[in-house]
Amino acid sequence: MDNNLTPEQSLKVIESMIGQAKRSFSRFSFYFLLWGVLLSSAMLATYLLRDLSPALAHGAPWGIAGVLGGIISSVHGARQGRSMVVNNPMDGIIGWMWGSFVITLILIIACSVIAEHDPGPVITILTGIPTFMTGQIMRFRPLILGGLIFWLAGAVMHFTSDAYLHTLLYCGAMLLGYIIPGILLKREENGLRTA
Amino acid sequence: MAFAPLDPILHNQLRLAVMSLLVPLESADFNFLLEKTGATRGNLSVQISKLKEAGYIEVTKSFKENYPNTACRASALGIAAFEAYVAAIKGYLGG
Repeated sequence: MDNNLTPEQSLKVIESMIGQAKRSFSRFSFYFLLWGVLLSSAMLATYLLRDLSPALAHGAPWGIAGVLGGIISSVHGARQGRSMVVNNPMDGIIGWMWGSFVITLILIIACSVIAEHDPGPVITILTGIPTFMTGQIMRFRPLILGGLIFWLAGAVMHFTSDAYLHTLLYCGAMLLGYIIPGILLKREENGLRTA
Repeated sequence: MAFAPLDPILHNQLRLAVMSLLVPLESADFNFLLEKTGATRGNLSVQISKLKEAGYIEVTKSFKENYPNTACRASALGIAAFEAYVAAIKGYLGG
């Protein structure tokens, strides 16, 4: 590397390296793919089991998806933490944002079960916040669009109680908001070879 | 008009690249710096040592998954020096 730097060259080095550092996030695609598949499957199972008892139709698929996703995410996160080559402060912000979203989700589900309300539309709208924000922080457009899709799907779900339409909207939002951005993000991560 | 002198520690392409990578991050491993700068292992080791001697970075050696690992982070002194360098460069460019 050249040591006789002109101010222009110095500035170019600084801009290029800072840009690379800021784009070096942890690999988040795994979580979008995992939760996208698990939650879509839970919604489909809820729809297919809708004629059975409410406890089985509404409780079991979501409970299984939640526990399974929680365990897999924790194991994967622990492994990822051990092999991380870069520690970007934005990773922490994204992590805390999703953590606070999970707490909000648990509270809404618990309150909705007690009040016998369907939490689906509210949860779908709320899912838009961390999805949109993660997209903005990472400057990754598919997640930004994903957040917008969750907001739109959640809003439409408020105006219908039709189970088929709810399933279609929720699974569609999961596909466009989590799964497809997850696939695109995975491709980008493999290209950038981040942590 | 007098221009501010440029810090000789930072006025080196590889050392400047390493500091530019470390300043926005909490820490980064040697291999990450190697990949992003495209430098050779030997040259990067030498320049990291120089930055460490100047007190601009902190270097932690440990074992990660049974392999030796070197992690670097910019110190407060290093961040201040980097900011002063950027200000001086902007002065040269009329910014």
